[in-house]
Amino acid sequence: MKSESPLYYPVFAPGARYRWDEVRQQHQIVFPEGVLVLNESAAAVVRLCDGRSTEDVIVALREQIGDADPSRDVREFLDRLAKKGLLRDGDS
Amino acid sequence: METPNPYSLLAELTYRCPLQCPYCSNPLELNRFRTELDTVVWHRVLDEAARLGVVQVHFSGGEPLLRRDLTDLVRTARQLDLYSHLSTSGLGADQARLASLRDAGLDALQISLQDSRPHENDWLAGVPSFEKKRRAIESAKRLELPVTLNIVLHRHNLDRIDELIDLACRWNVDKLELAHAQYGGWAFRNRAALLPTEQQVGRAAEVVADARDRLIDNLEIVHVLPDYFQQFPKACLHGWGRVFLTVAPDGAVLPCQTAREIPGLVFPNVKDTSLEEIWFHAPVFQRFRGTDWLPEPCRSCDRREIDFGGCRCQAFLLTGDVAATDPVCHLAPQHGVVEEALNEAANQSTDLRFRVFAS
Ligand code: SF4
Ligand code: SF4
Repeated sequence: MKSESPLYYPVFAPGARYRWDEVRQQHQIVFPEGVLVLNESAAAVVRLCDGRSTEDVIVALREQIGDADPSRDVREFLDRLAKKGLLRDGDS
Repeated sequence: METPNPYSLLAELTYRCPLQCPYCSNPLELNRFRTELDTVVWHRVLDEAARLGVVQVHFSGGEPLLRRDLTDLVRTARQLDLYSHLSTSGLGADQARLASLRDAGLDALQISLQDSRPHENDWLAGVPSFEKKRRAIESAKRLELPVTLNIVLHRHNLDRIDELIDLACRWNVDKLELAHAQYGGWAFRNRAALLPTEQQVGRAAEVVADARDRLIDNLEIVHVLPDYFQQFPKACLHGWGRVFLTVAPDGAVLPCQTAREIPGLVFPNVKDTSLEEIWFHAPVFQRFRGTDWLPEPCRSCDRREIDFGGCRCQAFLLTGDVAATDPVCHLAPQHGVVEEALNEAANQSTDLRFRVFAS
């Protein structure tokens, strides 16, 4: 069952997880029968999806990257991953 | 072209299986391959696979749950940060076993089903199994393991495709894979009794298309069409020696799980040689890698990087020449043999021969 968007507390859906591919030097999300390759900024976002709220993901990201406001991009990106069934709402 | 690292390892732990599916992809000569690698060698194989760049490992068979070291192997896979799938008939997949596998790090489960109705399912599987499969899925869902339900399609169950889709919804699986039988191995032997008619295939495609729209938010449906009815062949394995490799129960390393059907190919064994050496240098992996080996009409066809001339096992089975264009392709010089097979199947009723270890 895919999650409704927007996500308030984004976490990985069962069967999906982040991994660093040492051989290919790549960030990845792995899931049944698939691999999604992430760039640096996408990887920074998903690695913050540990049960904290979307607001807190954005705050933490802003601290990492300085002053630019990433909130719209982040929300869109989380939404896309939820539509693919890779993230879900972890509730509180 | 530089040889890419493989993404996916099919770890066939055993050819033993309680079921007898007449389309099984295991070799016909099951008795020739009774020896199985021990646990120590499998641990080494997983380690070598991870270092070679494998991301996903499919523990398969036969029935992999018949191996008592399965939980151990799954744990090793997780320690190596490999993503692990288990492909099972569902027999032996009780709640306790699944829980220990999940705790060891199993990521996802694939359970096969033969038909939507208990009686028909059990007839095709050769043993009572429907109820066990249902309970296995229930347990897996309780444990929050993602479940794919795999159904091999053929003449005998294709008309119940709507029931199969309903069942997948009721059982609340995450993904439904409806894959037409691939006519190699046992399925080739039983081809005349398994091939559906064109009308069946057409109707089923409509049912699936409709269900996909209707269930878009609830169930992912993968539909693998029967290549005998297509214009172009499948991109078998996404190219020989490019993405996948298989380690068979006895340790033979195969570019494709059914490649053993092709006489004359020599398969190296993990007992003697490392996976890396085999992947990059074994002649059997080099033989059909890339597109340089392709015959005409493939060589000058603009789909050559899409389907790589189709399936090697099928080319051999249907033409006797392993390096021929897959005859499923309508451009293949020997396409006639596919049409003959379809005609033959339409005009015949043949008994199924179930897979067995002859004693
Ligand atoms: S196809 Fe059937 S007989 Fe073959 S391994 Fe799978 S469950 Fe067993
Ligand atoms: S001719 Fe060869 S490359 Fe072209 S579509 Fe047919 S099989 Fe594929």
